[in-house]
Formats: sequence, C-alpha cells, structure tokens
Amino acid sequence: MTRVLWAAQAVPGLWVRPRPGKYWAFAVISFKQRRHEVAALLGRVGFYALLLLIFSALWQTAFAAEAAAGLPAQNWRDYVWYLVVTEWIMLSQPSIHLDVESDIRNGDIAYQLGRPISYAGSKLAAGAGDLAVRLVVLGASGLVLGRIFSGTWPSWGGLLGAALVGVLASGLMLMCLLAIGLCSFWLHDCMPVYLIWQKLMFVLGGLLLPLTLYPDWLQALAKASPFAAMLYGPGQLVMTGSLGMAVELALEVLGWMLPVALGLVWLERVGRRRLEMEGG
Amino acid sequence: MNPNALRVVELSKSFSVRASAPGLMGAFRQLFGGPVREQLAVDRVSFSIERGERVAFVGPNGAGKSTTLKMLCGILHPTSGQADVLGLTPWRDRRALSYRIGTVFGQRSQLWYHLPARDTFELLARVYDRDLAVHRQRLRSLTDAFELGPELDKPVRQLSLGQRMRCEVVASLLHDPELVFLDEPTIGLDVTAKVRIRELLREQSEREGRTLLFTSHDTGDMESVCDRVIIIHQGRVLVDQGLDALRREHIKKKLITLHTVEADCQVELPGARVLDRRPHRIELEVDLTRTGVEAVVQHVMARARLRDLTISDPPMEEVIRQLYAGAAPPAPMSHEVELSAGVAS
Repeated sequence: MTRVLWAAQAVPGLWVRPRPGKYWAFAVISFKQRRHEVAALLGRVGFYALLLLIFSALWQTAFAAEAAAGLPAQNWRDYVWYLVVTEWIMLSQPSIHLDVESDIRNGDIAYQLGRPISYAGSKLAAGAGDLAVRLVVLGASGLVLGRIFSGTWPSWGGLLGAALVGVLASGLMLMCLLAIGLCSFWLHDCMPVYLIWQKLMFVLGGLLLPLTLYPDWLQALAKASPFAAMLYGPGQLVMTGSLGMAVELALEVLGWMLPVALGLVWLERVGRRRLEMEGG
Repeated sequence: MNPNALRVVELSKSFSVRASAPGLMGAFRQLFGGPVREQLAVDRVSFSIERGERVAFVGPNGAGKSTTLKMLCGILHPTSGQADVLGLTPWRDRRALSYRIGTVFGQRSQLWYHLPARDTFELLARVYDRDLAVHRQRLRSLTDAFELGPELDKPVRQLSLGQRMRCEVVASLLHDPELVFLDEPTIGLDVTAKVRIRELLREQSEREGRTLLFTSHDTGDMESVCDRVIIIHQGRVLVDQGLDALRREHIKKKLITLHTVEADCQVELPGARVLDRRPHRIELEVDLTRTGVEAVVQHVMARARLRDLTISDPPMEEVIRQLYAGAAPPAPMSHEVELSAGVAS
C-alpha cells in the first residue's frame, strides 16, 4: 500500500487510493467483448437444446417403463427442469482455465504481471463479465426450452431460488476453473486436471441425474463435496421450490467460496514466485 | 535527481533445464527425474541509461534481450547482480514501478479484439488509477499526436496492423510513464507504417523527455529512433556506444558508386572490390584497412571521366552481423550439473 501511495504522489493525475473499480472495469469490458461473439453463444444454445431434447425423451421413456413395471410413478417433467438448471450453470462457464493456460504457455502472463493489478483477480473479473452474458442468454433460452420439452412451468419460487443460487454456484465454479488454470504454472497443460474435475462434476455434482437416485453412500459422499452445492443444489431447488432450502444452499455455496478464494490467492502467489524464478 | 533512469550492475540470470534424453526409454526415465542443466541466459550484464536517452538493445534470437527486459520490469528475478530502475529495485518494487514504466511488446496485444481501442484505454485508466478527467485529456493529446482520431472508435479487428501498433504505443504511454520498454514494436509492419511509428516514438520521447529502451532486429528502428546502441550476444554486452561512434569504429568499408562518361572502366586496386558493373556505372566496396576512398577515386579518374559519385556506409545490419561474427568465443553458456534426480526443472 505504501508503495502504491508513493507512486501516486510521484505521478500527477493518480488517485491516491487504489480502488476495486479496476476489477469491475475488467468485468465490464469482458461483458462488452462477449456480446460481440454471437455465433459462439448461439452454438452453446444449440448444444443446450440438443441435450434437453435427448434427455427429455430419455426421461419420458424411462419413467413410462417404470410405471409399466408397477413402480411408483415419478414426474419426468421435474427431471427435465432439473437438467435445465444444471446444464444452464455448466454451459455458462467460460473457458477461463484455457485462457490462463494459454497466457502461461505463450508467455503473455509475463507482460500482464507487469501491471498494478492482481493477475488472478483480473482474470476472475473478466471471467465474471463473460459469465454474466452467458447466464443471461442461456438462462432465457433454458426457460423457453424447459417449457417446450417439459410442457409445464415449475413453481416461480423454485425458479427464482434456482436462479439466485445458480448465479452464486456459477461464481464458485468460475473460481474453481481459475484454480485449475493456475495449475498450468506447474503442469503447463491444465487439461488433465480439468478432465478429472469435469468427471467429478458429472458424478458428484449430479449433472445429469439428481443425487437422490444414487446409492446412500455415494449420496453422502457427493453431498459433502462442493460439487453437489454447485449443481445438485440449484437443480433440486427448481424441483422443490423451498425458500428455506434456497437460503441454506446459498450459505453453503458462500461457505465453499472462502477456502477456494484462499486457494486462489495461494496458487497465484506460489505460481508467480515460480515464474519469477524459473521464467515462462 | 538521479540522472540515471536505469542502472544495471553484473546482472545474471540462469535457468534450470531438464536435459532431454533420447528415445522412448529416455523420455520415460525423464518422468522420474534426470540430469538438470543450468542454462545461463544473461551473463554479468552492466550498463546504465540516462533520463531522456533512447537506447537500442540489439542482439540475435536467444541473446538474452527479453530476459533482461523482463528483469528490468520486475517480472523475473535475477540469479545475481543489481538493477536500479527509476530509483527502485524492479523485482522488489514491481507494483510501484509498474506505475512509472510502460511496455510495448510487438508480438503481444493488450487491445480487446472486438472492441474499439477507446474501451481498452478506459480500462487501462482504471488499472493505473488515473483520474478520468486527466486520462481523457492525455488520451486527446496522444490520439492527436498519433493521428488516431477516427480509429479510436472502430473495433480493433477492423484496424490495420500499423493502426493497431499505434494504439498499442498509445496504450503504453497513457499513464505517462517515465521509461518505456519496447520489444520489437515494428515487427510485421510495412515500410510506411514502420517509418511512421519510428517518427512518432522519437517525437514523443523528445517532446516529453521520456527514456526509451528499444529491442529490435530491424536496424532501421535503431538508426531512426535511438542515439545509442547496446549489442548483446550470448548473454553478454558486446558493444555499448553511440551510433556515430559505432559507425566510426566498426565501419571498415565504404560503398562507392561511380557514373562515368565512358561505358567501361577497369578498376584493379588492392582493397577495392567490384560489386556491380553496368555500362557507365560501377559499384565498389572499399576495404578501408587496405586503401582509402581518395586513392580509389583517383584510380578511377585516371582511367575515366566522372559524371557522378556517391559514397555511402554499408548497411548497419552488415556492421552488426560482422560484430556478432567477430565476437570472441563465449565462455560455456551452459554447463551440465547433476543436481539430483527428481529435482523439478
């Protein structure tokens, strides 16, 4: 801080106090940039539609078979809305890990570290701007697609709760992806870590199947992990619509954000130190 | 005030590199460790630059230019040695220093591709904690100087390479840095764009008393913008002197073009070599260590009547190439040290 103040006094026209506004500026410019990438956004919407088409048909057939076998009938339409929410969160994620990996591999990071701003902070802020555009576009698409494929609307309370917790969960997921990207300081290629993470999201997060369909031991394991808070939680909210559960889940997601944020600070510090000593 | 913008003393940087082993088994063994080599990238480099000086930092690929620049920006820690940049130690005071230096990297862009450059400039104003009114005034003056009025509001993707590079330079000058590091700022530009960037850089530096440290493979950049040159080769400073002194001391040849009334003129003089011969025209390279220009001219005038005469220096590129070639064989750049199996590179 003293150094920044010193620099501020030395150069006319500087604000005396550093402001978090610089990170906000990264989020805003990233938001503006992403608006121009319409084709990429449409591609994601198309993929989202295809997934929902396949899985809604699958659920419908599976539940019809279950009912024919005399098992208790469940509402397949709820499962379509569960998938609308989990895929909304998953598909909205920007490839921030690949951006970081590319910065580290091609040496761009060295030049970004020369600015008076945290590298990880600026990447996270830019990722948040990017995420915001996708959450809005895919969220709106999800509402329309969910209605088309399920033929019903869920409760408005459930939708609102899922949306709010979903936004928080997306933030947590973005932080995790940034942490994966920062592993490139050591690995130079973060894809192996990302693939493990992705599979854990599929299984422990309950991307395609609600955790209630899992055996008890796996359910317990999944619910103790942050993965369930990121996908299963918001997905379940749209099915149940409980306000109490929404508050509880929001707190859980915020609780997970703290250790992940500390991990990010540590990763950036140690990674930068390595880069300063060993080069890019 | 310290007259030096920058002072470097015995600065060295070495990297640990895992030696690659041949074959599939070698690659497999490498997974579990192997010999680690110390590679010296910068070897006891010393120089200083006064405030307002424009200095070219020249060297072939892998000479250690970028590594030195990274150390001077505080991005890389040296293995040994000292550096003082604007009164600060770069690797210790990186953040404070970043407000006072600017960087232009010809092969990297800081502009947001789909957005007008104005958006990136606004972002940088925030990053460098600039007062927005001061920023706008500074931007106006820079865009006037760099002739960027209408280009400011076009998406960067629609700009030509020359316009983009002018925007990159403006981006690096927005926070009014006292010292600017430029790493190949004219790479890939056409002749006209190169000339314009060089003129603008020089004008800006002269007007605002800004210090420039400039790396480039293009000697035209060096000759147009800088007054002094530091040549680095295999991690060491080979030459550090003014451009005029460099020419005086290292140019041992002259090029003489003679236009004669007679269609043909035979020149047979030790130290004079015919480079090109056409009717009424002859181009000679004169080795000044063996003969003088006057002797050559007299020799020709004894054989033919002169219509015109041009004497020029060989291109600076040639001078530098000869300097690289004539450099004393360097001390071993790297020596293999078996640190330990399993030490991360």
